[in-house]
Amino acid sequence: MLMMMPQLVVSGISTGMLYAVVALSMTVVYKATTVVNFGHGDLVMAGAYAAFVFTAGIGLPFAPALVLALGTLFLFGLVMQRALIEPILTGPHLSLAMMALAVGNALRGAARVEWGNETLMLARPYPQTGFLLGPVVLTTDDIVISAVVLLLLLALFVVFHLSPLGKIVQAVFQTQRGAALVGINVRAFHGTMWGTGAALGAAGGALLALNTALTPDMGAWTLVRGFAAMTLGGFGSLYGAVVGGLLLGIMEKLLGFYVSTAFIDITAYVVTIVVLLVRPQGLFGRATGRSV
Amino acid sequence: MVSLLELAEVTVRYGGLNAVDNVSLSVRPGEVCAVIGPNGAGKTTLFNVVTGNAQTTAGRILFRGEEIQRLSPHEIAARGVRRTFQLGALFGELTALENVLTGLHTEIESGLLGLLLGTRRARAAEKAASAEARQLLELMEIGHLADRPARELSGGQQRMVEIVRAVASKPRLLLLDEPAVGLAPPMRAHLESVIRSLAKERQTGILVIEHAIELVMNISDRVIVLNYGAKIADAPPAEARANKAVLEAYLGHG
Amino acid sequence: MSRDGRGESRRSAPAARPRSGRLIFWLVPLTLLPLPLFLNQYQQYVLNLILMYVPVGVGFNVVVGNLGQLAFSNVAFFGLGAYTAGILMAKLGLPWWATVLPAGIMGAAAGCAASVPALRGVRSFSLAIMTLAFGELMRWTYIRSEWLTGGSMGMAVPASDLLGWRLDLESHKFYVFLVLAVAVVIATDRLLRSRVGRAFMAIKDNEAAAAAMGVPTGRYYVLGLAWSGFVVGIGGSMYALLVGHLSPESFNLIELILEFAIIMVGGLGSLVGSVVGAVVITATPEIFSDFPGFEELIFGLLIVLVILVLPRGLASLLARLHPLFRDRYYESA
Repeated sequence: MLMMMPQLVVSGISTGMLYAVVALSMTVVYKATTVVNFGHGDLVMAGAYAAFVFTAGIGLPFAPALVLALGTLFLFGLVMQRALIEPILTGPHLSLAMMALAVGNALRGAARVEWGNETLMLARPYPQTGFLLGPVVLTTDDIVISAVVLLLLLALFVVFHLSPLGKIVQAVFQTQRGAALVGINVRAFHGTMWGTGAALGAAGGALLALNTALTPDMGAWTLVRGFAAMTLGGFGSLYGAVVGGLLLGIMEKLLGFYVSTAFIDITAYVVTIVVLLVRPQGLFGRATGRSV
Repeated sequence: MVSLLELAEVTVRYGGLNAVDNVSLSVRPGEVCAVIGPNGAGKTTLFNVVTGNAQTTAGRILFRGEEIQRLSPHEIAARGVRRTFQLGALFGELTALENVLTGLHTEIESGLLGLLLGTRRARAAEKAASAEARQLLELMEIGHLADRPARELSGGQQRMVEIVRAVASKPRLLLLDEPAVGLAPPMRAHLESVIRSLAKERQTGILVIEHAIELVMNISDRVIVLNYGAKIADAPPAEARANKAVLEAYLGHG
Repeated sequence: MSRDGRGESRRSAPAARPRSGRLIFWLVPLTLLPLPLFLNQYQQYVLNLILMYVPVGVGFNVVVGNLGQLAFSNVAFFGLGAYTAGILMAKLGLPWWATVLPAGIMGAAAGCAASVPALRGVRSFSLAIMTLAFGELMRWTYIRSEWLTGGSMGMAVPASDLLGWRLDLESHKFYVFLVLAVAVVIATDRLLRSRVGRAFMAIKDNEAAAAAMGVPTGRYYVLGLAWSGFVVGIGGSMYALLVGHLSPESFNLIELILEFAIIMVGGLGSLVGSVVGAVVITATPEIFSDFPGFEELIFGLLIVLVILVLPRGLASLLARLHPLFRDRYYESA
C-alpha cells in the first residue's frame, strides 16, 4: 500500500501545480488591490476557452496559443480593472466583490452564448504517454503542466526579486500610500497586477484544458480550489499560495487513496473549513486576529 | 456603603508596557469622578477594562460587590454599566431615535414569538420604548434630529445622541469618554447639568475622562489623575489642582 | 404632551411614518390576487418563481444586509430545504404542505451550524469563503447520497395537494406561494422593526458598541442565521413544489451568485429591496431564456450598472420616491 505513495505524491504535485498557479493569480490581485475576486474562476475559464479558440479556431499549436491566451487575458484584466474596479476602489468591499462577480458572470454568459452548454475538448497537442522514473509513472501532461508552471514561477521570481520593476511591486505590496508618496504610479500598478493575475489564471485555465473538458461552468470548480489553496497557504501570501496549492493537490491524492475516494472531491472544502476554524492564518499568513 | 465600582490593584500590560499600572480606586453611587491625565496615560484603557473591552493582566474589578473582570462586555452592560466612546460610536445607518433605542435594548421586554406574531404586548413594548426614546431626545433638546440617520449629524450632535443613548437605560454606572469634545459652550453647559442631575437624582456613579479643565472643576466630586498608567492623585478638584505631582505630569511631560 | 421647565407644552413630534407602511404588505398581495385569470401557464410559472425567490432573498438579506455578515451559506439552506421537502414527499409520502415547516426547521438548524464560524470570529471574506466551501460540501452530499437524493441524476418530487385541492396547477401554487411569501415578509418586517433588527444593525456597524449596550452579540449571530436558514428553507420547499425535480446542480455557486444579485440589485439591508430584487433578477433570465447565456451576460451588465450608478440598490431609488419604501427599525406610536 505504501508503495503507491510516491506515485500519488507525484500526480498530486501535478494537480497541485495547477492549483498553485490559480491561487497565485488570485493572491496577486488580492495583494494589489485587497479585492477578493469571486469571479476569478471565470477568468480561468476564459483562459481555457481562449486557448481553445487559438488552437481549434485559428489552428495554432499549443505553445503559441498558450502565450496568446496569457496576453489576451492580461489585457482583459488590465482593462477590466481600469474601467470597472478602479472607479469604485474606495467604496465598500462588497461592491468590489460583486463587480468582480458580475464580470465573471458576463464572461460565462458570453461563453455560453457562443458555444452553448456543450463541452469542448482541446485537441491533444502531443500524445499522452508515460515515462517511468523509478517507481513512478510521469505522464506527458504532468511534465508539461509542471514545466510551464515552474517556468512562470521562475519568471515571476526573477522579476519580483531581481528587476527594478520587481522592486516597485514589492514596494507597493508593502505600502500603497508610501509607494504613492515616492512617486510610484499606483493606479497603473493596480491595472498591471490585475492583468498579471488574469494572465496567470489564464495559464491555469489553458493547462487545465489539456486534459479536462471545457464547460462554461468550470470556473466555480476552480474558484473553490483556489480559495482552499490560498487559505491553506495563508491568505495574502504569495509563497503560501504556491505551497498551499501543491499541498492541496498532494493531500487530495493521498487522502483519496488511503482514506476514501470521497476526498478527491471534498478535500478542498474540508481544508477550507478546518483551517479557517482552527488556524485562520494558514501556514504562512499573518495572524490578523479576527478578520481578513 | 458598598462602593458602586471598585478597582483593586488593576494592571493591564501590553507587550512590555503597563498601560494601566496597579491602579486602585472606588466610585460611590451618585459620585462624579473625573479621570484626567496626559495623552497616553491609560485613561481609555481603564474604561476598557471596566466595560470588558480589554483584559486585566492583574487585579480585580468589582461592580456592586461582584467581580466582573472576567465577564464579557454585554454581560457587564446588562448589569447597568453604560459608556460613550472617545471617537464616538454611534450606529451610522440608524437614525438618532433608533440609536437611542439600542440603548434601551435591555429594557424592552419582547419574546421572539410575540414579536413575530405581532402580539399586542410586543407591539406595546416597542411603541412605549419609541415614545420614551423620543422624549429623551426632546429633553436633551435634540428631538428634531430623531429621524435623521446618525451619519448625517454634526460631530457635536452625534456626541449628544451618544450620551442620550448611554443614559437611556438609567444605568447605575456611566463612563463618559471625552463627552465635551466638539460641543459648543451652550451644549457643554447642558452636558454639565445633565451629568449633575444624573448623579444627584438617579444616584448614577459617573466616571468622566475629560481634557476640558473647567468642566472637570465644575462637575466632579473627585479628580483621579493618571500618568503613565499609574494613579498619581485622587482628591477633590481643588486639592488635585494644587498637587505638585499632577502639575509636573502635565507641564513636565505634557 | 410633556411640559418642560418653562411651562410650555412640548409635543413629541409624531412620527411622520404612517401605519400604511405596514398596509403595503397587505395591499400589494390583494391586488395580485386576480392575476391568475389573466396570465398563461408560463407567465404564472414565472410569477411563482418570483414569489419563491422572495423568502430566499429576504433570508439572505437579513444576514448580509442587516447583520452585515458575509455568510454565503444561502444556497446551502435553499438546497437543504428543497431536499428535505422532496425527500419527505417522495420517501414518506407526506403532502407538500406538511413539508414546509420541516424544511424551514432544517434550514434553521443549518443556520445555527453556519453561525459557529461567525461566533469563532471568522469574518468578512474568510466567512464568505468558508460558507462557500460548506455549500459545495452540501452539494457533494446530495450527489453521494444516491439512496436518499437520487444522486446527480436528481430526484422527482411527486405531485401533491392541499387537503384535496390540487397543487399541480400553477394558479393554485400561486395562492399558496403568495401566502407564504407575504407571511415571511411580514414576520421579517416585525423582526427588523424591533430590538432584534436594531441589534442586527448595531452589530453590523460596530460590534463592540453593540455589546456595550447590552446586546448579547453571539446570541444574535445565531438568531440571524437561524432566521435566515428558516425562511430560505421554506423557499426551498417552494422550489420542490414548483420545479418538481431536484438535482444537486441547481444549488451550486451560480445559484448563489443569482441570490446575491437579488439582494445587491434590490438593496442590501432593505426588505423592500429583497422583494424588488427578486422581481428583477428572476424576470430577467426568463425574458432571455430562449438564448442560453444571454441572461448571464445581461445579468452581469445589469449588476455592473447598478454598482456604478445605484450602489445602494433599487430600493434606494424607491425610497427617494416615497417614504413608504424607506426602511425603519422601530415601531411608531
